[in-house]
Amino acid sequence: MAAWVRRRQGADVLPLTLQRRRLYILPTRAGLGFLVLLLFMLIAGLNYANSLALFLTFLLSGFVLVTMQLSHRNLLGTSLHAAVAPPTFAQRAGNLRLTLENPAVAPRYQVESGLSDEPARTTDIPARGRSHIDLPVSAAKRGIVMLDRLRLTTTHPFGLFRTWTWVHAPIQMLVYPRPFGSLPMPNESGRKSGARSRGDSGADEWHGLRPFRDGDSPRQVDWKAYAREAPLLVKEYSATGSELRIFRFGQLPGLGTEARLEQLSRWVVDAEERGDRYGLELPGVRITPDRGAEHRHKCLAALALYELDPQQPAKDRQ
Amino acid sequence: MARSASGFSLAQSGGGPLRGVLGTSLGWTSWALFGSLLLHIDRTPLWVTFVACALIAWRLLAEAHPVRLPGKIARVAIALILVMAVFVRFRTLNGLHAGTVLLLLMSAIKLLETQARRDQYIVLGGSLFLLLAACLERQDLLRMPLYVLQAWLTCGALAIVAYAPDKMPATATSPMEHVGGFDTRAALLLAGRTLLYSVPLAILLFILFPRVQGAFWAVPRSDDAATGLSDTMSPGSISQLTSSYDIAFRAKFEGKVPPPQERYWRGPVLHQFDGYTWTRAPYGAYPAEPLEYLGHPYYYRVSLEPSQQPWWLALDTVAEIPTPKASVTYDHALIGSEPVTELTTYVAVSYTATRTTQPLSKRARQIETTLPAGRNPRSVQLAREMRGRVGSDGAYVAAILDFLRTGGFVYSLTPPLLNKDSVDDFLFNTRSGFCGHYASAFVTLMRAANVPARVVTGYLGGEWNPIGRYLVLRQSDAHAWAEVWLDGQGWTRFDPTTVVEPDRLTRGMLDLLPDSGSREARLVHGSPTLAHLLARWDAANAWWNDHVVKFDYAAQLNLLSRLGIGSPDLQTLGWGFLGALSLWLGWMAWQFGRAVPRARPDRLGRAYARLCRKLARAGLPPRAAHEGPLAYADALSAKTPDLAPQIRRLLARYAELRYGEEQASYDTEVREFERGVGALTL
Repeated sequence: MAAWVRRRQGADVLPLTLQRRRLYILPTRAGLGFLVLLLFMLIAGLNYANSLALFLTFLLSGFVLVTMQLSHRNLLGTSLHAAVAPPTFAQRAGNLRLTLENPAVAPRYQVESGLSDEPARTTDIPARGRSHIDLPVSAAKRGIVMLDRLRLTTTHPFGLFRTWTWVHAPIQMLVYPRPFGSLPMPNESGRKSGARSRGDSGADEWHGLRPFRDGDSPRQVDWKAYAREAPLLVKEYSATGSELRIFRFGQLPGLGTEARLEQLSRWVVDAEERGDRYGLELPGVRITPDRGAEHRHKCLAALALYELDPQQPAKDRQ
Repeated sequence: MARSASGFSLAQSGGGPLRGVLGTSLGWTSWALFGSLLLHIDRTPLWVTFVACALIAWRLLAEAHPVRLPGKIARVAIALILVMAVFVRFRTLNGLHAGTVLLLLMSAIKLLETQARRDQYIVLGGSLFLLLAACLERQDLLRMPLYVLQAWLTCGALAIVAYAPDKMPATATSPMEHVGGFDTRAALLLAGRTLLYSVPLAILLFILFPRVQGAFWAVPRSDDAATGLSDTMSPGSISQLTSSYDIAFRAKFEGKVPPPQERYWRGPVLHQFDGYTWTRAPYGAYPAEPLEYLGHPYYYRVSLEPSQQPWWLALDTVAEIPTPKASVTYDHALIGSEPVTELTTYVAVSYTATRTTQPLSKRARQIETTLPAGRNPRSVQLAREMRGRVGSDGAYVAAILDFLRTGGFVYSLTPPLLNKDSVDDFLFNTRSGFCGHYASAFVTLMRAANVPARVVTGYLGGEWNPIGRYLVLRQSDAHAWAEVWLDGQGWTRFDPTTVVEPDRLTRGMLDLLPDSGSREARLVHGSPTLAHLLARWDAANAWWNDHVVKFDYAAQLNLLSRLGIGSPDLQTLGWGFLGALSLWLGWMAWQFGRAVPRARPDRLGRAYARLCRKLARAGLPPRAAHEGPLAYADALSAKTPDLAPQIRRLLARYAELRYGEEQASYDTEVREFERGVGALTL
């Protein structure tokens, strides 16, 4: 079934509006029970040749059919606006955040989403609004996890039918190596990174605010303050005197590749926390010392993808 | 508490007030079950109602207060005890009545162990089936609002149960992000709308679904008490009926309606007398006399209310009854093969005058002249004296009627009690009685003079409903009269009551005896407005009974042929149904589709679109999707230098109106822009 659906629908690109031909619908167990109840009602009504009982039976049959339509409608036209999985560490809880959009004037209720083997989560989507579903994703190994099979389901209203669809969007989650290991962090002895001039860009220590001058980067403007009707201010950072460290793959003899990567990951995480400047050297990869969230990601991504072909993602999820 | 603000929770955690529990899905499930309990409350034994209520209350209290619920063994024990109690009470677990009670109790026990959503679905299924049982039991129009409300309530509860989290949340905080809006009100609205949408399909299926003739299994008899006429008559038995305002049957005539003095509706005929009580003779006591029908026939359709008795009422004398479910007895009464346990309708043909030229059989003469030996001696003596004075049976009948007319007899609903020789006591002491007294005394006097006579019970008259154009016969119209065998004429009807009180023929009981009848009857009688309203209501009931409750195989064929489907076979019905079903589904899709309105540009946007179309039609390059009005103007000015200033002015105007600061004269300016677009000639 899954393979057939995949072949039938092809690969999807987000944002994706759920169209008719990709929605599947079947009665739930409660729905099957309801149908059995209707059958008994019909037999009783026919046996007693009782018009009212028959009418009730027919009314409830209509009820089931309307419910089927409503359930279908509850998903039809919903759009999966975005599916973002921020990088995570191996063996830690990752998270896939889905953004669902409802263009209709009526709210949609109990839209459920899940990955094939993870517990599903439910949300309501307000009329002409958006809401999010955060799905837990876990990965055992570093690398790239392809979350290419996503299920969107609803049993609303009355829980008699389950309408669902599969989305095959190439959602990737980068998995950093698990930060693990207890070796001391190497230090580039004697070499301090030194204080840099004020106004230098980069993710340094918070220094203060100063008025906006032409030529300032918009990224440094304190928009929040501006929104509170303060004058246009610019955030300033300065680097404090901190350690400069270079983490080298080759520095860790006696460990396996994965253990080395885990130790390097540990160091990167710790150094970033301490506010040190750090660089990374792997065979074939060299990242010059710096700091900040972007730099940390760059380093960890290099560790995550070390000796992996980015075109050949880890298949451990599928 | 998860979702407590605007959604539902399965259960209240901790000792919250009971009120909070009633709003949860469990509370709504209980309401639905309680609703079905109410539908059956007047037909179930009191202890059943009490036990079911107690079980519901127990389950609800356990949510709000530290009340313990029974364990599994206790539940099974309770269930077994209740099943046994039902069996002891009804001697069966089968049949509508016992089955209903059993289902009610079992649903209540299921509620007791309800934890998850699945349990609540089962209880709601039980509620729906109890609603069906109520439909099977009674179909009065008056109860329809209750049934509709119950269907709505149960479906609303279904919506609430489906939306609530499945199990009691393990932690206080819900992992779900709740948008709100789907509260009790929304759930009930949704259920109501869904039911309304299904009405067209229900009507369609109701009309087209093939009915089966006959039942799959025998429908057990109802154990309701019999109402209306009985097989016996003793002094006072008929006057008891007059206090009932209940409807016995309705009759709608095709063509002529009989005049009031001929509206005798024949019920059981009584032949045997013990001095106090009249009873029937064994079936087929003597052969029926061949009848010669006189005058013109009356065609009519009777819809008979359930009486739990086999008698079908027909206008005297019935000639034809085109159904195998009833037959005409030797004494020309109409008897059904089964007691009338549900509304029964039939058509019949009657003549109000008949004649028999053949002589009465010996056996019949013997039965119809027998009196209990030694009883009512004074009456017997009187009869013999009077018969001696006249020359023929006919003259004797006239003399007896004259005696009743002039003897100081009083028509009364509350006559004094009579002793064992009831006829003597009545004729010579009390001289006050009701139709039963007169019929009994008259027939006794006939038989004492060796003139064959018998008592006929039935209904007399009826109230004309001007809205539905039919006769309504109530229990208070019950009557008894006599038939006397006259040679050359056969059985001839005499009504001694009308001799004493001639108005009984044309006027209702209440006119004659204002104290008679029930309170509601007197109330209606006193107010013409109320009487009119009641006539309307009764006409609605009659319509309901004829067109909905009794919509059976024959009525279905009839309706289909009137719709132009002459001889509907299953295939035609199937295609018709499929066609109508697709229409319905399409209609619904269209209805639901309107929930997503297409964005329609505003006035200014429409004028702008018009301008762009106009330019494109004139052979100019159409505006590309990414081009704004000013960029488009730039692109155009290269192509048509001569028209450029004019076009540019309009496009710039649009940009100004669309993106500029809004002025007070905005509406006027938009209209000006529209005019400018219209005036542009290329």
